[in-house]
Amino acid sequence: MKHDQSQVSAGPADASYPLDLDGPEPSHRAYVTMLFNRHRVSLQRYLMRLVPPDDAAELVQESYYRLLRHGEMVRVDAMARSFLFQTATNLARDHHRRRATHRATLHIPIEDEEIAQDHLGPDEQLAGEQTRALLERAIADLPQDTRTVFLLHRFRDLTYPQIAEVMSLSGRTVARKMAEAMERLSAAVSEAT
Amino acid sequence: MRAPPEDLKAADWFARSREAVQDPADEAPWLEWIQDTGHQQAYENCELAWELSAELRGSPTLTVLLAGADALVSRQRAPAAPAARPRWRVPVWQVGLAASLLALGAFAWLYLSGPMITEYSTAVGEQRTVALADGSTVFINTDSQVRVALSRNLRRVELSRGEALFSVSHDPGRPFEVHALQGVTTAVGTQFDVELTRGGAAVSVLEGTVTVGASGTATPALPVAVSAGSGVGYTQAGAVSELRPAEVNRIQGWRSQRIVFNDIALDTALAEYNRYTRTPIVLSDPALGSRHINGVFHIGDEAAFLSAMEQGLHLKATRATTQTVLEPEAGYTP
Repeated sequence: MKHDQSQVSAGPADASYPLDLDGPEPSHRAYVTMLFNRHRVSLQRYLMRLVPPDDAAELVQESYYRLLRHGEMVRVDAMARSFLFQTATNLARDHHRRRATHRATLHIPIEDEEIAQDHLGPDEQLAGEQTRALLERAIADLPQDTRTVFLLHRFRDLTYPQIAEVMSLSGRTVARKMAEAMERLSAAVSEAT
Repeated sequence: MRAPPEDLKAADWFARSREAVQDPADEAPWLEWIQDTGHQQAYENCELAWELSAELRGSPTLTVLLAGADALVSRQRAPAAPAARPRWRVPVWQVGLAASLLALGAFAWLYLSGPMITEYSTAVGEQRTVALADGSTVFINTDSQVRVALSRNLRRVELSRGEALFSVSHDPGRPFEVHALQGVTTAVGTQFDVELTRGGAAVSVLEGTVTVGASGTATPALPVAVSAGSGVGYTQAGAVSELRPAEVNRIQGWRSQRIVFNDIALDTALAEYNRYTRTPIVLSDPALGSRHINGVFHIGDEAAFLSAMEQGLHLKATRATTQTVLEPEAGYTP
């Protein structure tokens, strides 16, 4: 019998929760704050390429609260950063959509409402026409294997080992081709925005 | 050869961050590298390209390009004809007819009998750790049953009852599949848990990445990738849910013979507790089930659990042969 391990209360979870199987780890809030402090400047600069500067600052804060509410996170910095930037991008997209809706209701007369709805499509996208065109061209211009690696990973959610298997390549080669794809696509994006 | 960290550019780091299994040795050089403003800006371009490329989904150009990539995958996944294996063909021509007949006979036998299937099960309250021949380990929880078949191209496990945690040895050439109901979870080297629940199954990933998809051919939906720290559920029919946090505490708990209750409803807690005992604990009044409890209990230590119920929630336990009933203490009003 291990009475010391057992405790019951009818209240909310105790802050010093007794399960500690992996040694002391900073709390979720402390981790998210640390992650934020490390990448905040970069995140704000990134968001300013997607939305007006004032909105960018607001979205940075909103991303922070989103992550706090998210629950457990992988504590590998590069992966956590990806998650942060993805969250911020989604928020920026929502923001963009709300702005577009607002504009539409402000300027389109009521009888044209249906037409206005049709026009919202492109506004739901963060990438401008030029960026889209350059990205699309850059993907099409990738060497075939590199393109296949990128497409399977980006749009089919296959992991590198799975891609390695279907393409009969080594895992290292897949990672190298993925890097090559990102090199070219990031060049296209930097040209466009 | 893996490039040394000082030679890595933004795109290399970005590609590396998306590997299913992260090398812990990368963490320190990465943190150093990303401090530099110029590096950050180059990395932001990668992030922007990655995020914005998602918006191209559905564009005519991309649809055509994706169809090409998909064709490659389906070609590769189609089962290869066993007779095409050169290993068997070459000696047959060299040793002559009698030997070839013998070889074909042996081949047919191997082919028809398939890989050897081993079955492992646990009784209520029992847990078991099984080391598999491929170096993987299966931790089997209470009242569970798994069947394992290892072949040259595939590691296949069938979970027909209960729950198991899989620590999969890395082998890209031989995917590790866990079939439960109409769903399949696939990994090449990672740690994940599969539990059969009331309405379906739940998958939690502790390390690396797995894919979860329907195993029947009727539903051609693409598998969902689930990474460490996340999980999904799926229904009897194999319909996969949205991503949700992995049940890390609960799984690490059962692995060390503990049940973890973190501010959850009493009826849910009892359902979990009763997975480990033949004499279930029930409530005299279902309305008591909405009260919340916290605590960590050793599996099998019923006395400690009941005494905690008494002291913390003022519930009195009455034991009978088939079950133990919890009822409010006489005269106590919460």
